[in-house]
Amino acid sequence: MIDSRRLLALAPAWGVPLVVATALVVGAFCGLAPALLTLASGALLGAVTLLWSSLGRLTGESPLTLEEAVGLGAPSPEEERKRSILRALKDLEYERSVGKISEEDFAELSVRYRAEAKELLRALEEELAPRRHEAEARLALRLKKDASGSAGKKKKSLRSKNAAKTRPEGRRTGAAVTAEEWTDGTATAEAVAAETADTDADASREALPADAPRPTCPACDTPNDADARFCKRCGATLGAPATEAK
Amino acid sequence: MWNSLPGFGTGVLYAVLVAAAYTFAVAVAAGRGQPRLLESARRGAYATAALVALGVAILAYAFVTHDFRVRYVTHYSDRSMPTSYLLTSLWGGQDGSLLWWSFLLSCYTTACVFWLKGKYRQLQPYVIATLMVIMGFFAILMLFAANPFEANVSGARLDGEGLNPLLQNYWMVIHPPCLYTGFVGCSVPFSFAIAALVTGRLDNEWIIAVRKWMLFTWMFLSIGNVLGMAWAYEELGWGGYWAWDPVENAACLPWFAASAYVHSTMIQERRGMLKIWNVVLITITFLLTIFGTFLTRAGLISSVHAFAQSDIGIFFLWFMALIAATSIGLIVWRLPQLRSRGQIEAVLSREAAFVVNNWLLMGIASFILVATIFPRISEWLWNETITVGPPFFNRWIAPLGLMLLFLMGLGPLFGWRKTSGVSLRRAFAFPTSVAAVVAVLHLSFGRKLGFPALVPEDAFYPGIAGIILQKIGSVAPLATITLVAFNFAVIAQEFFRGTSARRKKYGDEGVFTALFHTVEKSRRRYGGYIVHIGVGLMFMGFCGRAWEIEHEATLSPGQVHQIGEYTLTYRGPRMEVDPAKRMIFADLDVERDGKSLGRVSPARFIYTKGSQPTTEIGLLRGFRDDLYMVVGNMDPQTKKATLRFHVNPLVSWVWVGVLVLLSGAGVSLWPEVKLREVGVWGLVRASVGAATSVMFAIMLSASSARATTGQERAPSTRPSFGATDPRPLDFTPVVALGVGAAVAGTSLFRRRTPRPR
Repeated sequence: MIDSRRLLALAPAWGVPLVVATALVVGAFCGLAPALLTLASGALLGAVTLLWSSLGRLTGESPLTLEEAVGLGAPSPEEERKRSILRALKDLEYERSVGKISEEDFAELSVRYRAEAKELLRALEEELAPRRHEAEARLALRLKKDASGSAGKKKKSLRSKNAAKTRPEGRRTGAAVTAEEWTDGTATAEAVAAETADTDADASREALPADAPRPTCPACDTPNDADARFCKRCGATLGAPATEAK
Repeated sequence: MWNSLPGFGTGVLYAVLVAAAYTFAVAVAAGRGQPRLLESARRGAYATAALVALGVAILAYAFVTHDFRVRYVTHYSDRSMPTSYLLTSLWGGQDGSLLWWSFLLSCYTTACVFWLKGKYRQLQPYVIATLMVIMGFFAILMLFAANPFEANVSGARLDGEGLNPLLQNYWMVIHPPCLYTGFVGCSVPFSFAIAALVTGRLDNEWIIAVRKWMLFTWMFLSIGNVLGMAWAYEELGWGGYWAWDPVENAACLPWFAASAYVHSTMIQERRGMLKIWNVVLITITFLLTIFGTFLTRAGLISSVHAFAQSDIGIFFLWFMALIAATSIGLIVWRLPQLRSRGQIEAVLSREAAFVVNNWLLMGIASFILVATIFPRISEWLWNETITVGPPFFNRWIAPLGLMLLFLMGLGPLFGWRKTSGVSLRRAFAFPTSVAAVVAVLHLSFGRKLGFPALVPEDAFYPGIAGIILQKIGSVAPLATITLVAFNFAVIAQEFFRGTSARRKKYGDEGVFTALFHTVEKSRRRYGGYIVHIGVGLMFMGFCGRAWEIEHEATLSPGQVHQIGEYTLTYRGPRMEVDPAKRMIFADLDVERDGKSLGRVSPARFIYTKGSQPTTEIGLLRGFRDDLYMVVGNMDPQTKKATLRFHVNPLVSWVWVGVLVLLSGAGVSLWPEVKLREVGVWGLVRASVGAATSVMFAIMLSASSARATTGQERAPSTRPSFGATDPRPLDFTPVVALGVGAAVAGTSLFRRRTPRPR
């Protein structure tokens, strides 16, 4: 069943083009005055819908989407100063490259800016340290949970293999790969692909060693993540990821 | 429902007021950091905008269906008007122009709220709240002082009074919307400044947020002012494009303040300085936009915009007082946080040059402001009205303009913080040499070419000030041309240095590739330089006034008159009639160096519904000069005509300069999106959009050129869009521009958001 609240929330996105298109069609066949009436009707409907959904948000009847709720965070003044100094350094380098500033002045100002930037980075680092530790701890907990979940999944696949033995039609496309097939290398490429897609990305990352080779795209030379299948820049296929190579 | 359209329209205005008030309250509550309330406020803002759009659609419907129950429709339209002018009547009078202002504000609000999604979460509630206060003000104004939906007391009339003939002109169709787009656009940066003051987030965050909004606004202020100049040049028959009319002055004041801000904001971004100054500048810019409207509407000073006068000035006065008091209060409250972190370390630095530039720009703005309202000041102080005329402005603005032109060239030569003597010598060598060579060439060959370097000027005042101004006026042409050359050389050098530095770094790049990437990497800087070229060209056009020739003559049919290099033969009067007016033309054949340039026909139009006959100029455009003709009187018995002739040198360079200026602003505004991110179709859409916009620019030029080339076939020399042409307005280019801009915008602003894994 279609969620009416969600439909209401999306109304402005499809409503405006719909009203304008209708007005154009009406204008083409019936003249300017009916087209204006169509626009007026659309605007009135839009206003009522928007006010209704605004009141819904206000009273808490309509829940916020994740996107709406995310991100009250804004850069701190230190972060802004850091950006400003980095920009100043970029300007300084440009001015040196076009000969607007002498080498001595460049060296002096560059040292001063870098010292300021260093100080700010240290301050930011100190400010962020407790939160970073907290984030890392949560991530570790999550990975642990995912790893145990993944093990449970594999056990489940083993059971499904035993069940498949009883089915004469054999494996269907996209069926799960069993633990044995993983280890003895008899799994088909199709099944491996389906399994890899099913497996949680964090769990696959966990399986990767820190020094896993980062594949470079043959088309655009962009270094990609170790487990990437497609280039993040141009989308070209990268060949087998590190997990499969192993 | 449609049987009581005036009542329904008024109801919509009440709904706008209620929605704006509700959104304001929710937005302020959201300022405590509740995303739920913020989302509610965002939707409230969209709803308010939709209600304003509804109001505009209803009024447009009333115009199109000739609903003369509505007083505004009766006053500004009639049944004989083509649909295009019926739609432009929306902003042809005061009440409708206020609704149009609200509509543009609602467009800005929608765009800003949409853009703010997920950004500047702390500033966002107060930005929305401030925009809603402005919206509320206009709703109150319409409801209680200038309701565009007010019904005629005596009921519906059979026909309306028609639009002022002066406004039935192509330039007037696009001038007010463009100028309003510039005026209203200042609301967004102002809202951000207020939000920054309220939240105390006064570092670079808000400065970066408003950067492109301000540039966009500045661009439209430029377009609006120049279109006003074009309208005055072609429609009012002054002989020129700028006559220091109070409303012209009021319209250019925010441009000066915005230009100052565009420069000073760079100092805050890079050096953390001038925080108070930037907040003050934004507030002044916004106040000046309101002041401009106040001056137009209040009838404080007599003006060519007298058609727009009314008694709503007091509302604007109170609103300006409210804005000023709120801004000052917030600035004083936040004073400790607004203190600068840095200081100007050397006089020979870019920030010092920018500060002086700011003083000068604001000095010019203050001078124009005081001189504009001087009749009222003198009345209050000495009980005597002293009017300040164009000669006063021209004498005083010349030295100030020259200083500005010099500083414009100087700024790019300095580096940030400080510039060493060696670098300075190296930077100045080429531009100074070019300027010196151009000065010598001008002195040597200027007179021969018809553009003497030194022109005699009369003393305007007795005493030393008068003598100084007289001398400056005499050397102004030489100084202007020399400084324009200096500026061009500085910019050429900047492009050359940037390209060379890039080629040194990436040896395999060709010159044009390196130039493209240099500009692409630093669009704001190089876009700004292109704007400087445009301003230089405009100064060249302004300077042409020094060589202007003006004659007045009464000619009998067959009589010949010589002005400059033009030989004019008066062929006699001619009358044409259409349902709306009688048109009396004076036909003149024009020759230059024995070569025929065609027939030019300045005219007087007498409208059946207009009280005053209008002046329709005859114009021959050229890059060297314009031949401009105005007909005064014509005797039907003797067929003698009294005509005023002007040869206006270099005027076309003003329009060319504006196009260059706009392209520079476009480069600065171009979003920083990598083509890979938008994909191939994004690139195609952007190219189509850009091409359409360029075509619009060409169309603008071509519409002027048509006046020049169409002499033989057209009885009048006016562009074919004007009142001389019975065909309705051709909106195709304007629509094409809109579509092009929308296509370019959507294609480049739409980024692919990564899908959550």
